Order: sequence, then structure tokens, then C-alpha cells
Amino acid sequence: MDPEAEICGDTWGTRSSLSNSVQEKSADFGSQQQLQKKWDNNNNNSSSIMDYGFRIGQQQPPLEEQVNRQINNSIQGKNSNENKSPEWDPSAMLNNLSFLEQKIHQLNDMVHLIITRKGRVPSKPDELLTQQQQQLITADLTSIIVQLISTAGTLLPSVKTIGQFSQFTPKPAAASPDQQHQQPNNSMDVDHNYSTTEEHEEHEDGEAEHLPPGSYEILQLEKEEILAPHTHFCTICGKGFKRDANLRMHMRGHGDEYKTPAALAKPPAIKEVSSAAAEPVMIKRYSCPFSGCKRNKDHKKFQPLKTILCVKNHYKRTHCDKSYVCSRCNTKKFSVMADLKTHEKHCGRDKWLCSCGTTFSRKDKLFGHIALFQGHTPAIPPDETKTVVALAHTDDPAADDSGLGRMDFSSGDQALMDFKSVDDPVGAVASCFSPLNFDSCNFGGGFPEFNRQGFDDSEASFSFLLSGGSCNYSNQKTGGES
Amino acid sequence: MSILAVLTEDLLVRVNSRIEDGADRRSWRLVCKEFLRVDSLTRKSLRVLRSEFIFSLLRRFPNVDALDLSACPRVDDGMLTLLLARGAASTTASLRWNLRSLNLSRATNGMSFKGLALIASACSQLEKLDLSYNCRLGDREAAAISGIEGLKELRLDKCLEVTDVGLVKIAVGCQKLEKLSLKWCMEISDLGVNLLSVKCWSLKFLDISYLKVTNESLCSIASLPKLEGLTMVGCPLVNDSGLEFLSRGHSLKEIDISRCEGVSSSGLVSLIRAHCNLMRIIAGYLPELSAALLDSLKLLKNLTTLIINGTQVSDTVLQTISSNCKSLIEIGLSKCIGVTNVGILQLVSSHQKLKVLDLTCCGSVTDAAVCAVADSCSSLVRLKLEACYMVTEKGLERLASSCLLLEEVDLTDCSGINDSGLECLSRCSRLVSLKLGLCFTISDKGLSYIAANCSELCELDLYRCTGIGDETLAALSNGCKKLKKLNISYCIEITDRGMKSLGSLGELVDLEMRGLHNVTGVGLAAFAAMSKRLADLDLKHCENIDDSGFWALACYSHNLRQINLSNCNISDVTLCMVMGNLTRLQEAKLVHLPNITVEGFELALRACCVRIKKVKMVSELRLLLSSEILEILHAKGCIIRWD
Repeated sequence: MDPEAEICGDTWGTRSSLSNSVQEKSADFGSQQQLQKKWDNNNNNSSSIMDYGFRIGQQQPPLEEQVNRQINNSIQGKNSNENKSPEWDPSAMLNNLSFLEQKIHQLNDMVHLIITRKGRVPSKPDELLTQQQQQLITADLTSIIVQLISTAGTLLPSVKTIGQFSQFTPKPAAASPDQQHQQPNNSMDVDHNYSTTEEHEEHEDGEAEHLPPGSYEILQLEKEEILAPHTHFCTICGKGFKRDANLRMHMRGHGDEYKTPAALAKPPAIKEVSSAAAEPVMIKRYSCPFSGCKRNKDHKKFQPLKTILCVKNHYKRTHCDKSYVCSRCNTKKFSVMADLKTHEKHCGRDKWLCSCGTTFSRKDKLFGHIALFQGHTPAIPPDETKTVVALAHTDDPAADDSGLGRMDFSSGDQALMDFKSVDDPVGAVASCFSPLNFDSCNFGGGFPEFNRQGFDDSEASFSFLLSGGSCNYSNQKTGGES
Repeated sequence: MSILAVLTEDLLVRVNSRIEDGADRRSWRLVCKEFLRVDSLTRKSLRVLRSEFIFSLLRRFPNVDALDLSACPRVDDGMLTLLLARGAASTTASLRWNLRSLNLSRATNGMSFKGLALIASACSQLEKLDLSYNCRLGDREAAAISGIEGLKELRLDKCLEVTDVGLVKIAVGCQKLEKLSLKWCMEISDLGVNLLSVKCWSLKFLDISYLKVTNESLCSIASLPKLEGLTMVGCPLVNDSGLEFLSRGHSLKEIDISRCEGVSSSGLVSLIRAHCNLMRIIAGYLPELSAALLDSLKLLKNLTTLIINGTQVSDTVLQTISSNCKSLIEIGLSKCIGVTNVGILQLVSSHQKLKVLDLTCCGSVTDAAVCAVADSCSSLVRLKLEACYMVTEKGLERLASSCLLLEEVDLTDCSGINDSGLECLSRCSRLVSLKLGLCFTISDKGLSYIAANCSELCELDLYRCTGIGDETLAALSNGCKKLKKLNISYCIEITDRGMKSLGSLGELVDLEMRGLHNVTGVGLAAFAAMSKRLADLDLKHCENIDDSGFWALACYSHNLRQINLSNCNISDVTLCMVMGNLTRLQEAKLVHLPNITVEGFELALRACCVRIKKVKMVSELRLLLSSEILEILHAKGCIIRWD
């Protein structure tokens, strides 16, 4: 899976990013399926419905409508796909694929060879040779990747259409408020959730700018440059600084010649220089040095980064280990210090807790979660008056065994349809409303039992205060009841 | 013995089951031991007035499955614990499991989630639970309730601290819920209502009045497949598009959208078009009634109730309503502008089945309209003519001659009514409730007809009927033995003699007698000594009642629940006696008591602090009373209103 997948924290924000990736995935699978069908059925739509229908056969009745809608939509998607990308050619695709197959076979053989050779000569391996081998394999792999990407690239338009459709598919009358609620939230998350790479990149982009290629100058910093903590080094002592201004302040210590106003002044901006030379300024944009990254200039759908800071943050978030761990929750990890700090500001505060133990940063996220699962309820934090009673109501055994938790994505296209295991119609339909949102299902098997504690019947603290005894009642017979 | 030989036990049970009235049941119990036993065994519901008797009562009635504790002075965790423990230990073991309905409204904050959790664990059969007006009830308590899986009906009116979290707890725990009232639960928002709609699919009736919910809530409510009734009075954030969402459902039978500022006719039209089975529409204070709305009413074949209080109508509007809705039983035009005789004539002409008509504050209505109503609607049961000051005895005569089924008539502020009008009205012998407030021209003579003929009368309002005197009270005490609620405020002619005769009204529960200057301690004492069931007494401005009267109250009126002693000349000691001795007292208004010192207040409050729920006092006392007593009152959940 992509690097985001390793984010295993528990706020909804993470989930939503996961769900994005899942969406892409499912869309991808969808398109592959369509491919399959196109080859098999010669673009015969009706037979594709049959195909779907056959698989839905075992679904529960309330789901059928839902699924049918999905089918219709995916068919629409397919139609529009056909209309939109006439240049797409299945036979070319077949060629490409077989080429790839060959390539992989070759590589496979080569690696095999290296291994057998190693086995035969157990002595210290020749360094030069291994290096060469490595280079060879890397080169081959790179070319395969490039080939694969470009092949997949021809599919992109169709992927997009399907993606859109499937996103809007689960929008029956009842679910729409939830949907409306959730979708804008994804963008709102940028402010609230600080852990997910994708969201940050959105942030970096601002509104996606569409500069025509060539209208800007592409700069690419090397990995070392990006990761270097300091960019301004003292020529005398070698001390590094993050900011030039700081360096200049530092330089004053090295002698009086660095104390002159001229030396302390800000060096003239490049812009001014160039404008003085009356040359048209080329807008600068940056490329990520990581080959294959969408932000890399060699990528087919290259999206440049605006500033060096963007490059740094992007590179760290996407291609580096997350080494900063939140000291409060000990689960959230970040690769950018600022992200950690933002997180720590919110960490632990306003935790919305579900009876299954999952926590959410926001109430609506928790409620969305509860709506999806049967038997889950919001947990009420223990009272300040030391009455620690976990009121979690997870007594319903069906809740834990509803099968939702065991949903797996490994079966690809089937994940969309895998609601069979849901027993109750309520839960089933509820989850049906947003089939792409099963991001929160990956708990593994059962849910961690939330601290369950009964009520102490023999609580001694009950005070029974009735001061009735002192009075004399003139008519006890009629007084007591009505 | 002979009667028991004829009547076998099962026959007795069947006869007993037909007795509805409380007084009749009491008589039944007094016949003989066998009758008493049958009554004890068959009794299903119990409304406990004084908590000290609850255990003996439960022992006496082992088969009770509906328990109402709302009138008990203090219901708290301790009491509930004892109740459930005793219930299990004694012969009333059945209570533990069979209780189906429990009313705990206004139980003060002594009740917490611990008590409710006990109930949830002990009463697994509970189907109906009323927790309304427990202002401090919060999410924790809601979570405790959610343990009652089979709950079908739940009222949470004005449980101010219940938030979305609590609601969701209930929604997940009690999925069989059919009726839910969330009126004034101000913390609940769209999120909670949305989730409720996802989880509680069997919901049939929902009340979200006065909540700050938006159209989004309505959108999710529309997905409830069985929803029949939706009450959403005063939801300011809801508008027409919200009602359009609601039109996605098809099962609605009742809708109340009164005082929703954002809602107009067009929203209601879209709702009506979708829900053709609507039976009740309550749409008070709509900005206008559009032609499209009136036209769409034609689609509703089963519409029985149409209440459009406070809207602007015209003769043609009423005519259209009349021709489009053929099966109306109840029409509400209270405070409508533009109601005329012609309009009423056209409205009622084709509605023989009309039972309830509300013309409150339709000032231009005269006898002609009342006659028209009388002529067309012979089965009229309830008629409200408050402030229709042009109605006279002519109208009442026609009404009384043709509408013999009338049970409730409101003639408040109808200054055209006189004694002969009442004479005519007295022909309606089924009258249960009669309001004659501010009718200055009626006198003892007119009331004597009513007293003589309307023996079923339960409620009578004679507020500021200055022509009324002791004779009326004497006549009422002879003729209207079932009178429960009586208002004789500012009937200044009334003296001690009248008060004494009131004492013989054995059923009297609620008496308001403000500003009766001619009543003294003697009169109040005579009344109190005889009126055993009195629960609500208002003595404001009865300045000539002295301590002897209040002493009598303290000694005899053990069922007194609410008392207003404002502007009375009660002394420190007597106040203390009243407040301490009346074990059922829950609400006291103690404003402007000239003879009471700060110590007197302090002592009186200490005497009642364990059970009182609400006190009203002048705001100066706030600083003068000891902080200790105020803290105790606060801790006990007593609400103090500073005047």
C-alpha cells in the first residue's frame, strides 16, 4: 500500500485519508473489471448487468436496490468512459502488458541467477559486481515501473469517471444529510487533522493551480539538500543556520568587518536584480527528487510544488519515516515537527469516545461511526465525582459479531459487495449508504471490549431522607392514593 | 353475604373493571372485604400521592403494572432503591418484573443514574417511562435508561442536560422505541436526531418541539418508515425545504408545525401532497394560507383535525376549507384574524360531525354564528368562545337546545352572557368544564341553574365574577359533587359562610381564591377541615385570613401539593407549621409576607427542605437568608424563584 497506509492512528482524520485511498483502489478495481468485460463481452452492456446480477444474487433484499444503483452508475461511468476516451486502445494495452510480463520474467531470471551464483561462491562477494548487479536490477525495475504507470495512465480518464460516480452512488434520500455532512468535512479536516499527507499536500497546493507546462522553471533539490537541517553555513566556522538573517547575526562574532550595515543588510532579492536587468521573470516551481512521485517532474501528471518549504514538508511527510511521536497519546507519529506541534495542541482534548474504544476528534465523526455499527454507543467519560462507571452498553453480542469488523479489502472488487455478513437490516442499510466508507472497519476481528462495569446495587451511599414520621395524619385511608 | 352468593369472583372482576371513576372505586372498596380483595387484585395502575404509603400500597395492590410517582414529593435514588428492594422481597415480587409503565416526572434531582440503572435492571418489562421535567437529568441518566431494551414510550420533556450523546445512548439501547418526546431538550442538535432516525426504526411518534434543529434533522426523520406523528412546535431553524424533505415519507398521520417561523404554506403543501393519509394538521401562526394550500387539502380524505390558530383568514378561505375537507371533527380558529359570521356559517354548514370548535378571540363572531354552529353541529362536544363578547343568551339558547352533548364550554370574557344565558346552558347536562371568568353580569341566580342541572361538572372558572356570592357556593356544593377545580378569585362577595359550604365538595382538588377580603380564618378553617383532597390552594391577597385558618391548613390539608400564601398575614410559627407539617407540599409561593421575619423564612425552609421542589420568594431574601439553607435547597434540587 502507499505510504499513507502506515498511518495507524485512530482519529477520523486518518480514516478519511484512508478512505480516499480505498476509494481510489476500488475505483481502480472497477476499471479493471470493466476492461475484463470489454474484452469478454465486446462491450455488451446487458450481459455485464447479468454478470453483476449474478453476483448480487446472494445479497440481502434491502441491499439490492443499493447495489443496483451502483451497477447502473458504473454502467453509466463505462458509457461515458467510452465516449470520453476514444484514443484508448485495448490491443495497445495488451501489447504493453505482455511487454511488461516479459520484462518481469527477465528480471526474475536475473535475480535467480544472482542468487544461485552467490550460493555457489560463498566467499566474500565482489563489491563491484554486486554494485553492477544492483544497478542493473534497479534500472530494469525503474523501466517496468515507468511502463506500468504509463500503461495505467491511459486508463486514467475512465478511472476518474468511475471514481466520481461511485462517490455519488451511495446517496439515497435518507443518507444524504450524512453524506453532505461528511464530504465537506474532508476538506475541513485540513485544519483539524494534521497527520495525513494527502491533506497536507492539498494545503500546500492551495487551490490546484494549472500552470501550463513550460511556463515555469522547475527546480529540483536533492534529497540531502532537502533533509539538511540548515541551509546557511558559516564560511568561517561551518556552523549551520536555518535563516540567512541568523547567519548574518552570527557572522558579527567573527570580526568587525561583518558588522558593517552593508554586511548586515539583506542581500538584494533576486527579483530586483532580474527586474533591473529587465528580463521577464520565470516563475519558479519545485520538483520532488523522489522518482515516481506525483510531485516529481518526470511523473506523467506532474504537479509542481510552490515553495522550498512545500518541497521540504512534502518530502518529509511522504517519503520519510515519521520519527516524531506524540508524547501524550504515544500513537500519532509525524515526520514534520510542526505537524506534531499542531497535533499536540489538540491531542487528548475533546476526545469523543465510542464504546468500542475508538476515539474521535470530533463529535460528528463519532456519530458517523455509531451510525455505521450496530450496538456501538458513545461512551460517557467518568464523572468528576469519582463515580467511575463505564456506561458503555456493549452487551449486545450481535454487535461484536456482526461481521463488519472482518471485512477485508484483499478481495478487491468484492469489498464493495461484502455486506452479506451483516445480519440486521438497519445496520446493513446504514452502512450501505456509504459503502466507500468502510475505512473504519479494519479493526481486525472483534472490537476491544470497553471497560464494562455494572452498577453496584449495594451502594451504601444512598440517603433516604423522609421526614414523615413526626406528623400525625388524620386520614391515612384516603390520602395515600388516588 | 347474599350478594356474594350471586356474584362469583370472575363476575366481580368484570364489574370492577368497568368502574372508571375514582370515587366509585372507593365506594366499591367499602362494600365488603370480598369487594376490596377483588379491587386489590385487579388494580393495574397506581398513582401514589405520598411516598410514605408507597410500600403499603404496593403490598395491597400486588398486580399493579403502571406506577405513577410524579405526585410524590420526593423521589430519589434512596427511595427507588428501597422501592425495588422491597418490591422484590415482599409479596409484590411481581412489581420487580412486571412493571410496564413508570412515571417519574418532576422527581427532582435526587434521582440520578444510579436509581435509573436500578430500575433498568429490575424492571426489564418496562415499556413506558416518563422522565419529563427532571431538569438535571443528563447523559449519564440517559445511558442508564438505555439499558431498558423493551422501552416503547419515553418522555424526556425539559431534561435540559440531555445532549446528543444521551439521545444516541437511548437510540442504540432502546431500539423498540415507538414514542419519544424530546420537547425542550435544548442541548439536542441535528447530530442526535440524525442518529436517532438511523437507529430507531420503529419510531411512530416524535416530538422535537423547541429544539434548535435544522432541515437536516427533518431529512433524516423522513427516513423513519413507521413515523405517524411529528410534533415540531417552535423550531425556528426549520423552513419549507425541510418540510419538502419530510414529504419523502408516506406514513405521517399527524403533524404539528405551529410557530415555526421559517415555515410557510408552500412547505405544508409539499408535505400534504406526499402524505395523503394525514388526519391531524396543526399549523398555528402560519404567515398566510395560500390558495395552493387550501386546494391541496382536497387530497386529504381522512383529515379530521385542522388547527390554524392565529392566521389571517377570510370568508372565502373558510368556505374553501369547508368544501375541501369533508370529514373534519375539530377546527381551531383561535386568534384568527378575519373570522366573521358569514365565514363561520360557510365553514360549519357541511360539518355535522364537528365535535370541537375553537373560536377564542374571534371578536366579530355574534349570536348568528353560534346559532349556525348549533344548527349544523349537533354532536359538538367542546366549544370555546373566549372573548367573543357579542355572544348573548340567544346564541346560548340555540346552542343548548341542539348541542346536548356539549361537555366543555369556554365563555371567558363574554360580557354579553347573563343569568338567562346560563339558564339555557344548564340544559347541557353533560357539561364537565365551564369557564365564566370575567362575566360580570352573571349572578347567583344564573349559577344556581348550572349547579342544579350540571351534576357532572368538574371544572368551573368564576374568576372575577363579581356578582357571585355565597349562594352560588352553597348551590355548587349541593349540586356539583364532582367538582375538582374551582376558581373563585376576586369574587369579593364570598364570605366564610360560602367557604364552609365549599368544604362539602369532597372531590375538590384545586381551589384558587385570590383576593377574597371577606374570608377570614374561620372560613378557611371550616373549609380545610372538610376538604380532604385539596392539593392546590391559592390564597394570594386573602389578607383577612389569620393564623387560625393557616393552622387548620397545617393540620388537615395533608394532600396539599401547591400553596400560594403571597400577601397573606401569616405568622412565623404558623408558616413553619404549614411548611413542616404538610408532607406532600412541593411548591410554595411566599412573596410579600408582611409578618414573616427572616428567621421565620429560615425556619420554614428548614422544615420543608427535604421535600420542597419549588419556592418563590422576594429577591431581597437572597442576601438575608443563610447560605447554608440555600445550599441545602440547591443540593436537594429545589428551584428558588426570586421575585
